[in-house]
Amino acid sequence: MVEIRVLEKNPYVLKLHVKDIPLHVLNSIRRTILSEVPTMAVDFVVFTINSSVFYDEYIAHRLGLIPLTSEEALEKYKSPEECREAGEKGVFSEDCFVKLELEGKGREGEIVTLYSGDLKTSDPDVKPIHDKIPILALTGNQEIKLEAYARLGRGKEHAKWSPVSIATHKYVPNILIDYEKCKGETCKECIEVCPRNIFDLVDGKLIVKSEKIYECTLCRYCEEKCPVNAIRVKWIENEFILTIESTGSLSTKKILLEAVKILEEKINDFINSLKERGVLE
Amino acid sequence: MMFPVRCFTCGALIGHLWEEFKKRVEAGEDPGKVLDDLGVKRYCCRRMFLSHVDIYYEILNFPKVS
Ligand code: SF4
Ligand code: SF4
Ligand SMILES: [Zn+2]
Repeated sequence: MVEIRVLEKNPYVLKLHVKDIPLHVLNSIRRTILSEVPTMAVDFVVFTINSSVFYDEYIAHRLGLIPLTSEEALEKYKSPEECREAGEKGVFSEDCFVKLELEGKGREGEIVTLYSGDLKTSDPDVKPIHDKIPILALTGNQEIKLEAYARLGRGKEHAKWSPVSIATHKYVPNILIDYEKCKGETCKECIEVCPRNIFDLVDGKLIVKSEKIYECTLCRYCEEKCPVNAIRVKWIENEFILTIESTGSLSTKKILLEAVKILEEKINDFINSLKERGVLE
Repeated sequence: MMFPVRCFTCGALIGHLWEEFKKRVEAGEDPGKVLDDLGVKRYCCRRMFLSHVDIYYEILNFPKVS
């Protein structure tokens, strides 16, 4: 029976302890999240004026990396594949692209920094997730004027479209202590060496702190350092920890739902093409 | 030249944290503690802060010739 326990949940991070979901299924979901779930990101930038010390490419790259809110955009705009084609042809149509404008002038003897919050968007649903990301700085008579075009895209095309900074799965550590061998209070070697402070002494007896066990990195340093070989670092079969850290463009909930939806579509496509070729009835 | 928008390794957004980090460290706080406070956990992201030099302040005064 599939069992899921939420270990951590905030707007950006979701950490789940899952039981009895096979590793290959979990990994498919993870990889779909990384490379298939679409988000909005700047893809083309048109410079009208740039007399700053920063090159066009440098500014365009910084703009591309700014995460844009994409929750509503997923339904509103055309698919990444269609929009990619439109963009390559130079057609910046409204059903694909959101325009973000940036304008600024320097002042003599002063440094004027332009932030993501200075971008004027053509669609309020698609805007930088944070207003304080510096884009460039100007001084003296330097000037900038540009139009950036954002579209939906997928992580496999460029990492800027990936909805997550990290998506990982990990085994659930299981640390076995052989109490017949362990010297407890007189030794304490493992307590000192563990980088994650997993162990503790209670009434002279070595214990594993249950609330800390998820932080164990399975580095096996404790195993190596124990003078009497009393520790075994193992993992639990068929249980994993799935961690998703969103960049902020989509909520972790939406990321998971989209990933499962995309995976399902892919499997259906596969079955349909098998049917077409007469492999399946 | 400017502080990167994202961490080179994991891709987490860090650009918006630089100015606060800089201000607090220049005021004498311990960089490690400030990073803990800002919620920068992984060491890939932490080294982005610790190794950055804001060189554009000087380069700003030497406009490119084109
Ligand atoms: S494997 Fe590493 S992190 Fe885990 S308990 Fe041992 S020393 Fe600590
Ligand atoms: S290092 Fe080995 S003997 Fe020493 S306290 Fe840990 S488990 Fe016991
Ligand atoms: Zn990082």
